Amino acid sequence: MSRSLFINPTAFETDLQAAFAACAKANGVQTAAFERFAKQGIPNRRVEGWKWSDFHGALRGLSPANDAEAQADIAPSDFAALNPLEFRIIDGRIELPQGELPDGMRYDVVDPVATIPELEHHAIATLNVAMTRKALGIEIGEDAPDRPILIRHINTNAASTFTQTMMRVSVNARARLIETYEGEGIGLYSHLFHMVVRDGAKFDRTVVHETGAGQVVNTVCAAKVDADASFKQTSLSMGSRLARHETLVHLWAPGGSAEIYSLALLRAERHSDFTTHVVHKAPHCRTRQIHKGVARDRGRNVFQGKFEVEREAQQTDAKMTANALLLSNTAEANHKPELEIYADDVECAHGSTCGALDEDALFYLRQRGLNEAAARALLVEAFVGEVIDGIDDDRLGDIFRASVADWLVCE
Amino acid sequence: MLKIENLHTTVGGNEILKGLSLDVPAGEVHAIMGPNGSGKSTLSYTVAGRDGYEATDGAVMLEGTNILGLAPDARAAKGLFLSFQHPMEIPGVQTMTFIRTALNAQRRLRGEADMSAADFIRLIREKAKLVGLDDAKLKRPFNVGFSGGEKKRMEMLQMAIFEPRFAIMDETDSGLDIDALKMVGEVVNALRGPERGFLIITHYQRLLHYIKPDRVHVLAGGRIVKSGAAGLAAELEKSGYEQFIEAA
Repeated sequence: MSRSLFINPTAFETDLQAAFAACAKANGVQTAAFERFAKQGIPNRRVEGWKWSDFHGALRGLSPANDAEAQADIAPSDFAALNPLEFRIIDGRIELPQGELPDGMRYDVVDPVATIPELEHHAIATLNVAMTRKALGIEIGEDAPDRPILIRHINTNAASTFTQTMMRVSVNARARLIETYEGEGIGLYSHLFHMVVRDGAKFDRTVVHETGAGQVVNTVCAAKVDADASFKQTSLSMGSRLARHETLVHLWAPGGSAEIYSLALLRAERHSDFTTHVVHKAPHCRTRQIHKGVARDRGRNVFQGKFEVEREAQQTDAKMTANALLLSNTAEANHKPELEIYADDVECAHGSTCGALDEDALFYLRQRGLNEAAARALLVEAFVGEVIDGIDDDRLGDIFRASVADWLVCE
Repeated sequence: MLKIENLHTTVGGNEILKGLSLDVPAGEVHAIMGPNGSGKSTLSYTVAGRDGYEATDGAVMLEGTNILGLAPDARAAKGLFLSFQHPMEIPGVQTMTFIRTALNAQRRLRGEADMSAADFIRLIREKAKLVGLDDAKLKRPFNVGFSGGEKKRMEMLQMAIFEPRFAIMDETDSGLDIDALKMVGEVVNALRGPERGFLIITHYQRLLHYIKPDRVHVLAGGRIVKSGAAGLAAELEKSGYEQFIEAA
């Protein structure tokens, strides 16, 4: 065993170094990335951006070694009815759709990304760059069929898994992507999604995180949005031991827009963290963000949203809202909305609220004949409605609504 | 019909109703008037069963059953309707969907079948016309962005649809213009009948120009301190409540 690159490593970090040494030969970029990661280590509570999501603590008792076979049968996806083009990433192994490549698009298993400058200081993303050997690459052309792409991340074992997707939505193209995180795995799952939305293109991403309770997840979506292009993302997270969903959007050129909607439904001891950062680099760009978190039992809802408006980004129009609803005294919400503005002619706003169900409203509904469970359910559905009503595809909206209804009645 | 006997209600440790008794027989409309802080809203909340309004003594009999131990929704299913002074907004829930959900919840509690969508739409359109709400409002989220007057019309719409056995109207007249007051009068008068009772809580006499009450009661200091015929309302308007506050 070589000398440890870490200062005071945990067993997990020591094992990571062994796992890095054991995985397929690293190139110079990957070795450098691992060394950079090792200087930081797994982020702990003392790191400001991670103070509510302690990966160091959560991973301390785990081993990153790949120790189990993939699950044999995979049930059909809830989204099968939308007839998507289905990709699977099962315990890190990429499965491409069978059959002919549709016109106007390309996909393949490709070399991973060498470096993402804006994520240089992100420890887990850096680790991902060091550890990932194969990535899923997808390119959508202007003449691609209007058929959703489904990527199912299915994790079944206790190992640490690192995966990457790279996607390019070409000039004036339209792409709809659904990503699901599934499985009963109990290890670390790190996914890096690196994408670009070219001039005039429209990209619509739907993410559903509905794994077993034991998973420790960090997904990072880094998107570059070009002129008059739009990036829309709607996420639903049921949380897990630690589930941190990060989105980093750069509005690179005039006329770009970002819409980021997220919904967390947290019960038992599940934890969800939506951390987002939108950088306005050019004038006349627009961002809309709404987060809704509902927590009961000992569920924990974390939201960290940041808008950064650079000096050149005049006439920026950006609004952020985060609302948390706590259904029990032991549930928790931590919100940190942030604006960092260097331009002087902009319209930027943020708002954050946290509260319990409104007793006046509950009584009103019960006076109208609804029993307590029905009244509470209706108010929760009303609370999350703003996010779900924004989903363009009715069938997708119905799947979200059904998830909310299931969540409300589960023990 | 609604018989309240020696009702004592405590809110946050303070006794607000101090032995209130009231009898509204079927077919009658009674008005309760009284100064601010006399316990008018506490009375309506206690009868409707709101948490935190604890009846420490007495009984509230609706058609012979003491409803004090029942959940608010069970009271609603028995035919009790409370028109709220400050109706709620429910963002994200279409008005039509909400009212239909409520109506069917009440019907189920009574052991009746759900009303079909087609029958319901016919019913709500007819009643919306009666209360002066256009159809577009029915498709909007419940009460969201509605004016105070529109919210009161929405209360009257629900009352007309649910056809309760007994309705308490808690300051329904506050914030209403003359046309809306007239509408409230029309809704109540249309529902008036030998099987139904109303209790109208108000500060002012003006609603009583449109709804002629059978009896008027003065509530002060947590008790009914005076009862009389419809003419008592006009008398109060002249003399004010001061004499009763002192007496209480």
